[in-house]
Amino acid sequence: MGLFDVTQIALEQALAGSAQRQQLLANNLANADTPGFKRSDLDFHATLAGALANGASPAQIESLQFTPQTDTTSSMQADGNNVDVDTEMAKLSQNALDYESLVSVANARLKMLSTAIGYGQ
Amino acid sequence: MSGGLFGSMGISASGMSADRLRMDVVAENLANADTTRGANGQPYQRKEVILQEAPGGSTFADTLAGAQAPGTQSVGGGVEVTGIVADPSPPRRVYDPGHPDADAQGYVTLPNVNPVTEMVDLITSSRGYEANVQAMNAAKQMFTRTLDILH
Repeated sequence: MGLFDVTQIALEQALAGSAQRQQLLANNLANADTPGFKRSDLDFHATLAGALANGASPAQIESLQFTPQTDTTSSMQADGNNVDVDTEMAKLSQNALDYESLVSVANARLKMLSTAIGYGQ
Repeated sequence: MSGGLFGSMGISASGMSADRLRMDVVAENLANADTTRGANGQPYQRKEVILQEAPGGSTFADTLAGAQAPGTQSVGGGVEVTGIVADPSPPRRVYDPGHPDADAQGYVTLPNVNPVTEMVDLITSSRGYEANVQAMNAAKQMFTRTLDILH
């Protein structure tokens, strides 16, 4: 077992997924008035949960890629655009909170590790 | 992942500049709502901004990330303005024989600008701008929190 366990690697992957989702949600908002634009989103929770439930190794977790999904079925406006700014804003806040809680947990675990190895004493 | 949080700030910035340009164009349309002599001597024609999703993966960081992890799907690169075009809808015609630009029948050709449409566009772009600012602030806050790791 390396220095970082599966949980720590999964937390780092979740942070990367959350940052990628932030980019997608920002892109949806920037294109809120682009004709024909369809919104994209990313469910990094489901991807990670699936991998962890299948007993993936730390190396497998580390090489996980999150694939954005584009919703092509719905339409919000007559021009084919399906971005609902209110929903996007709600998802954006949710994602920012997600990220903050992930940082807190990852940080707490790193501090425990640094205590264990006697770093900074 | 390409660009990460800095990438999302760039995307929000593209949205903000697109919305600002839309506001500029709306302001020009409103200011010229009754202009009978434009730059070409003809009545002013309403202008419209054409938006398009910008392709992602064109920056140096994206190219580098793509080379390091092949098969990574790149996220869109925000929004871009492909052009400002004239609205081809017919102009308004108002009977005003005393007007210096009236034609032989006494009709004046006025721009195809409807102030109500412009006000709606103004509010839409203003709200869009605010939404992009919020998204950028969220990314900034997330980035600041990352810097707190191990402090």
